[in-house]
Amino acid sequence: MTSATVPTLQRTPAKPFYFNTSAHLLRITRQRANTLSELLDALRECPDDSIFQHTFRTLQEHHFLREGFSNDFAHWALSACNEPSLAERLASVDVREFTSVPELRDRFIQILEKYLQRNLEAARRRADETFYFCASDTVVVPTGIVAHTMHEFAEGLRRVSVHSIHHHFIEARLRLKLMSNDFSQWLHEDVGLTETARALNRIDIYTATLEDVRGQIVRVVERALT
Amino acid sequence: MEPMKQPTRDSNRGAPEIPSDQPETSSRVVPLRPERRKLPRSWETPPAPVPPPHLDDYQAIVGAAEIEELRFLARELQGKTVKMVSSTAVGGGVAEMLNRLVPLLSELEVATHWDVITGGNDFFEVTKAFHNALHGSDYELTRQAQEIFLMYNEQNRQRMQFPEDVVVIHDPQPAALIRARQGKSRWAWRCHIDLSNPHPQVWGFLRPFIEQYDAAIFSSQSFARQLPIPQYLVYPCIDPLSEKNRELEDSAVQKVCDEFGINRRRPIVTQVSRFDRLKDPVGVVQAFKLARKYVDCQLVLAGGGASDDPEGATVLKEVQEAAGNDPDIIILDLPPWCALEINALQRASTLVVQKSIKEGFGLTVTEALWKGKPTIAGAVGGIPNQIVHKLTGVLVHSVEGCAYQVRYLLTHPEFAAQLGRNGHEHVKENFLMTTNVRRWLLLIQILLRGAQA
Repeated sequence: MTSATVPTLQRTPAKPFYFNTSAHLLRITRQRANTLSELLDALRECPDDSIFQHTFRTLQEHHFLREGFSNDFAHWALSACNEPSLAERLASVDVREFTSVPELRDRFIQILEKYLQRNLEAARRRADETFYFCASDTVVVPTGIVAHTMHEFAEGLRRVSVHSIHHHFIEARLRLKLMSNDFSQWLHEDVGLTETARALNRIDIYTATLEDVRGQIVRVVERALT
Repeated sequence: MEPMKQPTRDSNRGAPEIPSDQPETSSRVVPLRPERRKLPRSWETPPAPVPPPHLDDYQAIVGAAEIEELRFLARELQGKTVKMVSSTAVGGGVAEMLNRLVPLLSELEVATHWDVITGGNDFFEVTKAFHNALHGSDYELTRQAQEIFLMYNEQNRQRMQFPEDVVVIHDPQPAALIRARQGKSRWAWRCHIDLSNPHPQVWGFLRPFIEQYDAAIFSSQSFARQLPIPQYLVYPCIDPLSEKNRELEDSAVQKVCDEFGINRRRPIVTQVSRFDRLKDPVGVVQAFKLARKYVDCQLVLAGGGASDDPEGATVLKEVQEAAGNDPDIIILDLPPWCALEINALQRASTLVVQKSIKEGFGLTVTEALWKGKPTIAGAVGGIPNQIVHKLTGVLVHSVEGCAYQVRYLLTHPEFAAQLGRNGHEHVKENFLMTTNVRRWLLLIQILLRGAQA
């Protein structure tokens, strides 16, 4: 294995890393819910783009929060339905454990079905506010930043916007269909830094802001450079 | 009838700024305690217009990467042309937003033109009534009103040309211009008003026009209607470089406080909004009085609309009566050009309140959050989009709830400061002019993709 002998600084990645970013526009869909029972119905019917919006995307919209925000369903269950126990279960759904939106949708449906079977009254109680399902229309754009070396990669990580970090580090698993991210995939497949790739996958996105996450990614990559 | 001046790009760059929540009125300060209320010189005349900023001016605020992404997004659209059509070139939030958006899109080489429709007093009386009816007011839609609306739209259709790739019609006044649509151009209707409870007859009259567009754009999910066309969400935004939102030297903040007799050594609780029952200023006074039993603070109610609006004057009187002779309640009736003073008052505040009963988007909340102020606001309209309860501010539903949150935040400054920091970041990510430009670039791309399909 060459990866054990060639110092990181001298390695030439097999392929360069192209930093992209994704921009999203919110589309308002037909689904809406005034009770938890209606939320369950809408979760079954809404487009995949809606599940994506209220989980992956909302995390990006609130990337500056370190605690207390996971996804829109959990937030609504607490703030509009006053169901802390349900909210806690919905909030525990970690988007990194899913490589497809249908799987993620099924998980929310399971949690809600189970809760409403045991809490019949909660299913019909009217929420303080309506939940409006939105969906995300996405356009992927290049940033113009390309890394041909690990140094350039570290520099790119520092320079790109947090939207680009979200695109490569969090949304990527839906494209890759892997429990991974674009950075780790590149480090593993094209640079041969498997341990560094694994270390990136262990970064917690729910207890840190996206800026903090960027800082942690940069530190892991810099450690590999020294 | 005097045709309205059509703005050009140059005229856009020099348009005067009008505070978004305040109609144009003459100024005066409520003389509750005249010995402490000197009329500041800056009030007497509107300031000279400031040219709007360029894209690079925002770099220090949002970072180089964000600006670079806008340039990449715009690259796909270079050579495309866009027309914005609204009913007025000056005054109000729409004109204020377009005054900034149009030059920025053009700077990104997405050639954007802004046209203003013309109409007589009879047209604007009808459209004002439509506006109120779409907000839910009672109204009897007559055949004559419909004819006036259609006649002026037809006159404008004949006068204007629409060779652009994308045409965006703002609000209901020019909605019937869709009949001018030809070829492959894409048309979007941008609705800035709350349509959650529209007058059925008026909406029934307008709806067939709206359904002919390729997309509708709303400011909040709750304002959307069931329509057969895609509906997008584009939040209103604030400009961080405007007079109302730019950074101020502490000396400028102090000067304004001195002019209004506000003591910065004591906590300041502020609500900025016109004197309108829907903003519940009397409720704010009541909440303040409840809170002050336990915590020391002053209340500043800064607004406008009392000088030429009979209802505003009535509400102001009610507020004065509720305040009584309390020396810690400072009521300011400001003219619309006092953006700098509003900025300073918001920055001087310990807490900002927006205890609305009904609200559009609530840009005064956005302004307060941008200034890092812990904000207490009614959970209505677009406010819950901005305030994530206990994370970016606090939402309240009653006078008592508002009073409790004033007490809590004044006695828990670390928590309050964290709300302020989060609120600032929330606005930076979602409600600044640069994010607005990004959303428009996306929308134009998505509309044009539909044209190719």
